[in-house]
Amino acid sequence: MSDNDHIIEPHTSTLHTRRQFLRTSMLGAAVSFTVPVFLQNTFSTLDAMAADSAIQTETGKDGRILIVLQLAGGNDGMNTVIPYADDVYYRSRPIIGIPKGQVLPLNDYAGLNPKLAGLKGLFDQGNLAVLQGVGYPNPNRSHFRSTEIWQTASDANVIESYGWLGRYFDSCCKGADPTVGVAIGNQTPQSFDAANPTGVSFSRPEQYRWVNGDKSGDSAAVYKEMNEPILDPAQLDENDGGSVDSLPGEMRTSHKESNLEFLQRTAMDAQMSSDEVLSIAKKFPASVSYPHTALGDSLSLVGRMIAGGLATRVYYVSQGGYDTHVNELPTHTRLMTELNDALVAFAQDMKAQGNFNRVLLMTFSEFGRRVAQNASNGTDHGAAAPMFVMGGAIKPGLVGSYPSLDTLNAGDLAYSLDFRSVYATVLDKWLRAPSKDVLGRQFPLLGLV
Amino acid sequence: MLTPLPANQWDLQKAAHLLNRAGFGGTPDEIKAFCELGIDKAVQTVLDGPDDSTQFPKPTWAQPQNLLQMRQQMATLTPDEKKEMFQEIQKQYRQDDLDLITWWLNRMRYSPNPFREKMTLFWHGHFATSVQKVRDSYLMWQQNELLREHAYGNFSLMVKAISRDPAMLIWLDTRVSQKGHPNENFAREVMELFTIGIGNYTENDVQEGARAFTGYRIDPTDETFRYAPRLHDDSNKTFLGKTGPFTGDDILDIILSQPATARFISKKLWTFYSYEDPDPALVEALASNFRGTSYEIRLLMNTIFRSSEFYSPDAVRTQIKSPVQWVVQTSKLLDSPMPRPLITVNALRQLGQLPFAPPNVKGWDGGRSWITTSTLLYRYNMANFAVGNGLLHIEPVRKPTNPNAAAMPQSYDVRNYNGPDLAKVIPTQVRTDPHRLVDYLCFRLYQDPLTPRDKATFVKYISDHGPNPDDNTLRELLHLMMSTPEYQLT
Repeated sequence: MSDNDHIIEPHTSTLHTRRQFLRTSMLGAAVSFTVPVFLQNTFSTLDAMAADSAIQTETGKDGRILIVLQLAGGNDGMNTVIPYADDVYYRSRPIIGIPKGQVLPLNDYAGLNPKLAGLKGLFDQGNLAVLQGVGYPNPNRSHFRSTEIWQTASDANVIESYGWLGRYFDSCCKGADPTVGVAIGNQTPQSFDAANPTGVSFSRPEQYRWVNGDKSGDSAAVYKEMNEPILDPAQLDENDGGSVDSLPGEMRTSHKESNLEFLQRTAMDAQMSSDEVLSIAKKFPASVSYPHTALGDSLSLVGRMIAGGLATRVYYVSQGGYDTHVNELPTHTRLMTELNDALVAFAQDMKAQGNFNRVLLMTFSEFGRRVAQNASNGTDHGAAAPMFVMGGAIKPGLVGSYPSLDTLNAGDLAYSLDFRSVYATVLDKWLRAPSKDVLGRQFPLLGLV
Repeated sequence: MLTPLPANQWDLQKAAHLLNRAGFGGTPDEIKAFCELGIDKAVQTVLDGPDDSTQFPKPTWAQPQNLLQMRQQMATLTPDEKKEMFQEIQKQYRQDDLDLITWWLNRMRYSPNPFREKMTLFWHGHFATSVQKVRDSYLMWQQNELLREHAYGNFSLMVKAISRDPAMLIWLDTRVSQKGHPNENFAREVMELFTIGIGNYTENDVQEGARAFTGYRIDPTDETFRYAPRLHDDSNKTFLGKTGPFTGDDILDIILSQPATARFISKKLWTFYSYEDPDPALVEALASNFRGTSYEIRLLMNTIFRSSEFYSPDAVRTQIKSPVQWVVQTSKLLDSPMPRPLITVNALRQLGQLPFAPPNVKGWDGGRSWITTSTLLYRYNMANFAVGNGLLHIEPVRKPTNPNAAAMPQSYDVRNYNGPDLAKVIPTQVRTDPHRLVDYLCFRLYQDPLTPRDKATFVKYISDHGPNPDDNTLRELLHLMMSTPEYQLT
């Protein structure tokens, strides 16, 4: 890719879609939709302001897609990518160590959990990269704080208000549909938090719609009207919005959205996205068979949305249950199986759709676990751990080196690869977004893409 | 700071605010009667609620089991019999769990002391323990009763009691922690989430503290707490700058002596009852009040409920209802029965707050995290069900251990839930004038006027349906008015 790839010529000042207008004018300014910005600005000046943001997102069916898969609870990295040639591993884990003979070797030192046979296949075919020893300086062992650090890409001693994906949406996706970010499930991940929040979440598209008890359709019309943006200034109540004085020129961004405004915006996003999601879901059933697990369902849904061309740049899915303090083996084995089967199905789906080259799936977990097993045949919170990156167009292989099991940092594996380098690479090379702006500084890029 | 609200500023909206936040709201008549008490009497009524334990007796299944006997019995069985027995137990737990949630939700809905139930809900989110790991409905019930007992008692006593609570011993692995092999889970979370908050201790304090919480066991014959001295590490620990052969209680005393603990708890209480991000000076005032009374929760709540800050524009009508609040308050506002347990439980799961199953030990984040496009639509559709329009989608339940089990049908078309008695909820005299009707429902549903534009929309909807709106139209009007951002606030 050339250096200019992420610079797109400002387009001409015409209003492309009402939605685009809507998001740029209202959410771009982080004010509620009833603020009478319309009274002061013509459509064309607003559109020009949107164009000024220099970097526009790719939209539509051809853009590249990032899928972030969170392994929540702190995945035991050492039983995922196993240092099978190291005696320290077996000495530290007499009960829960995976026997050498069962490990699926990636090289002569490390190999995959036996349940990850499908991922081993993807690795061999050149569609999987295994990043070793990923972490950050001064690791925090609290689930919540460490998750926050990963979600916001902050330094360990800094509290960052917005998520790394939210900052990407802020800097590159102004004016995009709210479906630019999709979280599968009922939660919005902290990584989506943004100055101008965007993104929707759903888990059952068939149910992602407003139902009512009025057969005449009158009620549906009222609901629609109430959740549509107000484009005609004459319809605005005088007391609906904020102050007019502060608007012209620089659009204000300091306004703190109230809970009511937040709800109004979410209601509008729900209304705007539900028709689209529902119609895709109707037209695009799952094309390959996915395992009947929560993760399988989530990735199947992502697959259908991709097939239907939802204008989404980032999908977010998660798999929970990794906090294996007690009797780890059966739980972790099941999680590995579910992970493997769901990822293999997703890869097949993308290949069958001809979209494998458009997607990059990245896993992360808030931390790995201690080198040694504990008294309850489980493991406590640790630090550095591996990540997986999967896709049709990625550069495969083992990345980085396995952390030393002899030279530990406060009893834990020391990181050798900062996770923000992975983020930076995904942003710069995959999403073609300026990682330095999004992450606040330039992290070294990897040869992943 | 925290000066009492002048008595002459007490009005209907403030009375409604206190009812909403201290409990689960009330009907227009209840709000009016409450307002007439005046603020002093109203706060006193809240804090001096009656004991309701005879009205809500212990569920019949809530009895300890002799786990030792069960284990011995199991050992004599064939693998097939064992499997069968195991499945039987699982089935029983699922039933008991459903019953437990229903038991508590009914108590919230019908208790003459909703304040105690709301506080119990707060502490459940604080000492967040999940049946998903504990897998014992009796112990979950017992913990719930423990939280209720201490709900507005003394925080020090509550923390010490919770450190011995069998459900907590399972939840945070204290029951397997022993001398020589301390498990850090409880020691970490008790500081990070239950008392002083992150940033006020080191990793070393976690490791030292963990050695103190050793030897805590559950007696397998009756599921009670048992201290096993031989498993306790009685050597010296250095914890938060002090050294000694500390026990778990000693560790908690050291934590409770830290000013940060009073700040952390009072800020969390303020956030739950009033508004998020309180001014640091306000937190300091609350904390010094709390510390000054040696952690008497009732006294702190009294200060909060009388303070002018609690009734300020930052507080009134600014809080996003939690799912539990939404469900219980809706039933109260519409003066209608609670829907069938399966309906409610599934809705709460969809909306992100299933009691006894918090997502993790941090509890529910609350506030805006309740709302996404999908949960907001689900709330709107739940409103459709609540007004008696039927049809609500139910997610199949999937147990992590058995991913293929789809225990429940995909959707319930429950025509036998009729929703509110409209004759009671919408008096005939307000029905003739659409403006009056909408104003009346605004007070019933929001205790707050709407913007003129939204009000005009609803008035038009009613006007379009002729002079005497029928029940279907009124139901749909309720549904529309609940399918709004305004209805999500309290």
